[in-house]
Amino acid sequence: MLSETAIKELEEIRAKYPTARAALLPALYIAQREFGYLSPEAYEAVSSALGVPKAIARGVGAFYAMYKHKPMGRNIVQLCTNVSCMILGAEKLADLLKNKYGLESGGTSPDGRFSLVIMECIGACGTAPAMLVNDDFYENLTEKYIEEILGKYK
Amino acid sequence: MEKVLLKNIGNPNSADITEYKKAGGYKSLQKALDLEPKAIIEEVKKSGLRGRGGAGFPAAMKWTFASADPKFPKYLLCNADEGEPGTFKDRPILEKNPHLLIEGMVISGYALRAEYGYIYLRGEYPDAKKILDTAIKQAYDEGLLGENIAGRGVKFHLSVHQGAGAYICGEETALIESLEGDRGQPRIKPPFPVNVGAFSQPTVVNNVETLSNLPYIIEIGGEAYSKIGSPECPGPKLYCISGHVEKPGVYELPMGTTLRDIIYNHCGGIKNGTKLKAVIPGGISTPVLPPDKIDCPMDFVNMPKHGSMLGSGAVIVMDESVCLVKVCYRALKFFEHESCGKCTPCREGTGWLRSILGRIENGEGMEGDIDLMLSIAGNVLGKTFCPLGDGAASVVQNFIKHFRPEFEEHISARKCVVKG
Amino acid sequence: MITVTINGKEIKLEKAVTVLEAARAAGIKIPTLCYHEQLEKYGGCRLCLVEVEKMPRLQTACTLMVADGMVIRTETEAIADVRRGILEFLLINHPLDCPYCDKAGECELQDLVEKYGPTRGRFKEKKRKVPEVLEDPIIVRNMERCVVCTRCVRMCEGVQGASAIAVMNRGGHSHIEPFSGGRYECEYCGNCVSVCPVGAIMSRLHRHSYRPWQVKEKTETICPYCGVGCTVVAQVRDDSIKRVIPKIGSVVNNGMLCSRGRFGYEFVGSSERLTSPLIKKNGILEESTWEEAISLVAKRLGEIKNEHGGNAIAGIASPRCTNEDNYIFQKFMRVVLGTNNIDSTARNGYAGAQIFLENIFGQGATANIISGLSNSDTVLVLGGDPATVNPVLGLQIRAGSRKGGNILTVGHVKGLRNFNPVELNPKIFSDTVLLEGIVSALKDRKGLPGSNPLIEPRIKDINKSAGEIEKSCGVSEKDLAEFVDILAKSVNPSIVIGKEIIQSSGGSYKLLLIAAINYLINARIYLLSERANEQGLLDMGCAPDLLPGYRPVAFAEFRKRYDTSWKTTVPEKPGLSIFEMIDAAKNGSIKAMYVMGENPVYNLPNSGEVKSSLKNVGFLVVQDIFLTETGRLADVVLPSLSWAEKDGTYTNMERRIQLLGKAVNREGMEDWRIVSEVAKNMGARFHYSKAEEIFEEISRVSPLYRDLTYEEIEKGYAIYPYKGEPLRGVEEIVVHKADGVAAEGNLYLKVERPLFHSGTLSRRSPALIKIYPEAVARLSPVTAGSLSLKNGDMIRVSTKTGFMELPVLIDPEVESTFILLTNNFADKGAFSITGYTLDPVLKAPAIDCNVVTIDRVGK
Ligand SMILES: Cc1cc2nc3c(=O)[nH]c(=O)nc-3n(C[C@H](O)[C@H](O)[C@H](O)COP(=O)(O)O)c2cc1C
Ligand code: SF4
Ligand code: FES
Repeated sequence: MLSETAIKELEEIRAKYPTARAALLPALYIAQREFGYLSPEAYEAVSSALGVPKAIARGVGAFYAMYKHKPMGRNIVQLCTNVSCMILGAEKLADLLKNKYGLESGGTSPDGRFSLVIMECIGACGTAPAMLVNDDFYENLTEKYIEEILGKYK
Repeated sequence: MEKVLLKNIGNPNSADITEYKKAGGYKSLQKALDLEPKAIIEEVKKSGLRGRGGAGFPAAMKWTFASADPKFPKYLLCNADEGEPGTFKDRPILEKNPHLLIEGMVISGYALRAEYGYIYLRGEYPDAKKILDTAIKQAYDEGLLGENIAGRGVKFHLSVHQGAGAYICGEETALIESLEGDRGQPRIKPPFPVNVGAFSQPTVVNNVETLSNLPYIIEIGGEAYSKIGSPECPGPKLYCISGHVEKPGVYELPMGTTLRDIIYNHCGGIKNGTKLKAVIPGGISTPVLPPDKIDCPMDFVNMPKHGSMLGSGAVIVMDESVCLVKVCYRALKFFEHESCGKCTPCREGTGWLRSILGRIENGEGMEGDIDLMLSIAGNVLGKTFCPLGDGAASVVQNFIKHFRPEFEEHISARKCVVKG
Repeated sequence: MITVTINGKEIKLEKAVTVLEAARAAGIKIPTLCYHEQLEKYGGCRLCLVEVEKMPRLQTACTLMVADGMVIRTETEAIADVRRGILEFLLINHPLDCPYCDKAGECELQDLVEKYGPTRGRFKEKKRKVPEVLEDPIIVRNMERCVVCTRCVRMCEGVQGASAIAVMNRGGHSHIEPFSGGRYECEYCGNCVSVCPVGAIMSRLHRHSYRPWQVKEKTETICPYCGVGCTVVAQVRDDSIKRVIPKIGSVVNNGMLCSRGRFGYEFVGSSERLTSPLIKKNGILEESTWEEAISLVAKRLGEIKNEHGGNAIAGIASPRCTNEDNYIFQKFMRVVLGTNNIDSTARNGYAGAQIFLENIFGQGATANIISGLSNSDTVLVLGGDPATVNPVLGLQIRAGSRKGGNILTVGHVKGLRNFNPVELNPKIFSDTVLLEGIVSALKDRKGLPGSNPLIEPRIKDINKSAGEIEKSCGVSEKDLAEFVDILAKSVNPSIVIGKEIIQSSGGSYKLLLIAAINYLINARIYLLSERANEQGLLDMGCAPDLLPGYRPVAFAEFRKRYDTSWKTTVPEKPGLSIFEMIDAAKNGSIKAMYVMGENPVYNLPNSGEVKSSLKNVGFLVVQDIFLTETGRLADVVLPSLSWAEKDGTYTNMERRIQLLGKAVNREGMEDWRIVSEVAKNMGARFHYSKAEEIFEEISRVSPLYRDLTYEEIEKGYAIYPYKGEPLRGVEEIVVHKADGVAAEGNLYLKVERPLFHSGTLSRRSPALIKIYPEAVARLSPVTAGSLSLKNGDMIRVSTKTGFMELPVLIDPEVESTFILLTNNFADKGAFSITGYTLDPVLKAPAIDCNVVTIDRVGK
């Protein structure tokens, strides 16, 4: 079940579109926020809220890389490794996250503090290498800088 | 050239409506509302404005088709998916100059008699989402969006639709599918969006930068605008340069500035004075160029003549230290990851090419791999449902075309020769 | 006129079609994979790429529309390379486990590669591995073989409308899954199985049991389950049905089937089938020879007739038997036993409702083409879920909604919930008032057409204001107005009537109101029909008051016609309806009963009562393919051949007469042959050697089937002609109002009619049992909550009539005033606790007044 606030939020969003189906992507974001990830329960909640068959809802959710289908750590580190970032050392950073924080791509650190998602281009090529931690951009990364950034996230 | 698209983004509050107005914002809208919709399209036609999303399609032509269609309501979609790797040119507009885009969209909406607009914003831009939402709210509060814009009885509603991490959703019909709450897979064309688009209604999809040109076109008139930059495709252009240059970033320059000029003058040349090895001029899907081919005017008309494309104007500069096999591999990894899976050649071909490139980079290349890749790429190019697959194929073809020896050395040496 | 050139050949076309269609019309083959004639265009597989002059890129023939002057090439060297290239892509991750794959031999990918290559593989990488999924009892998914043509998904969402599967993930990871990832929660129509071109989605029923090319016999016949009458093809090997598939292009179901039709065939080969006659000797049924059994039946019936007269004997005909069986049976009752005491379970609702409506609008008023529903701009549904009672008819309603038509329902209809229905949900027992309100409003909107003197005076008397409706039905004026507005505006509306409304208190009056609506908006009526030949048996005269062809027994000139053709005197007095028979049996005035292919002890409400009544019958003959609840009471049991084992005809609800095809051979006799044997033993001339002979007689004597022959039927489109003028003798419409039915309890019994079951047949079909294994009591979350019941808790469900213990299943689709029970599982039939009152007009049982109490008996 979605929370009261979520339902209200969804109704407002729904009103912006001519069809309920069009509110599916936003609804999935809301459900992901509420349930932590898109669990079967999350999909069922969205399905009944919008009247979209649940298999359809899941098919749509499963298409997009930013919807999560397993539990995530408290903070999501989204590191870009596409060409511009790669040629400026993104791989070293990935190694660091692996060796120092035990973060494999798609994995979660043992202490559940971080999950790592290797991203395609996040549009910060001019200040590469770059990453997003949750909703915060960090650019011109170095190994030292990354450690100090992650220090801020508990 | 005075800044048009990046005007006063130095101002820390540039995203605020009052600041924007102080700098003359929303004057063009008032001016536009005095014109007949048709007259605006006429101005855009005179201006010679071409779409900045990659295809360079004449904006006025698209608009004429859409407004010729008798069906209402019509939709105006802003393509803010900016997914092409290397591209970050729309981001400063979205984050620092949102009202320029909004003003552009209201003008376009009025010209098209479209009553609903959506900004399809990639999920990877959370800041832009917040900034746009605020800006849109401000515009509503000041009566610049809504049922009765500027008290002139004009209706235009606007909101942000957030994508969720799918490059293909930048393709306009996939974008529409995604807006409608479906899997972002391209649609059969015809019918074209201008006739059967969002919610089966006439729809125009334009890039952020394209739409942001409108206030200026209205301000100075199409005629004057058409004098800026390349005659065949005029206007200011945002080039975004990344990789091994001294001063990477987004530069607003006249359309048609040469690649060399961009790299060596505006961006201060190759980083730490090392040597240029290769350039991808228009985003990762565009053909890579070797150092001797960079004297090309960066516009939609001339780039093809020089063996590449302007694409999104995303220049990726690579110096001697870069292994091109690895870059090619990483590019294919991207295409494999982003293939929507609708059509066979792209769905299967991208993965196959990626794994061969992976082997070569790891020293497991085999005799004949290069020709095999060319053959596979040939079986993809021109056979796919949408241009994404073509992009993947041409990346492989062009890296091999210009840098075949590097691939061969990888195979014979059974290791990456650049890492040494 | 459009002219295109394909491979140098000029082709003229009436209208714009796709290049593919144009080519096929001209006999030019273009390979395809994602294309399917039943489905929306897709253009994904790219196999149909062709060269088109003046077009830079290759074009997909399946999506490109022809334009005048187009020049197309489909067989160049370049194109051949492209096809080989595409097929290579499809093969690189394909397991190539063809020797083990059930699809081998009818696999489109296999055939394409055989034709276009490649001959050798260049793929040196690791193949994608995906384990086969066997979590579902019916459908196997092998996603390694999937070519992502999405035909299954487009079928499930776009045609079937179940939306139970979808493509998951994207790119190379794309694969098809139901929501759960394992078991399906769907309608099990299996139409995804039909359209899968490879071995990715298949039926488990025949898994590894044969090779497609080993199937020699493919018999086209008609589904034995419901009144829609879908064409099916039974694929047989060694006299056992291996698979039942639909046929694209068949008139009624054009390539579609439902779960019962596709997966419900296993009963035919069931080990529980009766093999030899049984005779009850001191209380125990013992096997006997045919001679013994037949002569015993003949002797006893003869004696009873002589002693008590023919009217002491009653016969129950079968909606599962053919027209030929039923014709012979009623002829036997009338000619040999000399009684009109013949009826069937059609009396449960279908028969009475049909006669009632046709008395008003003329014969054939309820005979409408099923596919017509998809062209209706409005479909009004009352008293049942078309998508479960007559699933393939339900598809037409869904299709209509997809084309932009409206669906209006009184009450919540689960099978239509994804097709934005406009629902009115009146309080319990207030639907009569609601209907009166709709009639009044429509009358005010549209006025009276003045064309039907029978019904107009009745409509004049009906006046209910929206205000009254709001008060007594709890339906707001606004909702009612919207509902009526849609009805009033519709141009070619249809009304679909289910059993629930017929089987409710004041059923005949409700039908009158529905008739009034029909009259005011000039709609087409569809009466849902649960049994394959419910219509046919009525046509054959298996009714106490009607002779073959709906000719009333009461009219001398009709009787005379049959007197001459049957060389006898047809008894003048109309016989007993099935419920009157049961009462008569109870009070002893029925001494003998002959039941053919029916199971009244199970299929009639208050079945316990029916059982004790039949026990009371001196001599009971039961003719069936299984030893049913009724059979166990019999003095003589006669085993008959099933639908798959005989020729004959069925007549569907459209009144389309269709040929059955004998699919498998089995020892024994058809029902008509057994009855004829008995007749001959009683000295009558019943010399028929094959079904066709009987049909010839039918087409001679029945005005409805006049001059119809098997050859005619074979050609299809044998819908018998109707003039449409009212039956003679109807001066006024008699109805029964059930005033003062008030809610005494807060929970009422309702009979669920599950998509997956029908009764006797489905109970012997393992596949259907796996889908829906046991009887449950469906409760709304509200009811369950108020009694703090959880799924699986055992409860005792009690009514005035009896009680039954069942596990709870909480179902959000159930209205809180009802508890849903099925009548499909042995010893757990809802009818055993269902009391009823008869509607004097329809002679149908009203079963809507069973107040239920619930006690928890365990976890
Ligand atoms: C695979 C693919 C990705 C694309 N991505 C984008 C994008 O991120 N942003 C964009 O503006 N256009 C993108 N396009 C181009 C759009 O399809 C479309 O041409 C453009 O939005 C039209 O706007 P314009 O005429 O203003 O350029 C993409 C096209 C393809 C085939
Ligand atoms: S080329 Fe085909 S698979 Fe690739 S993205 Fe386009 S449609 Fe999807
Ligand atoms: S059949 Fe045309 S693309 Fe598949």
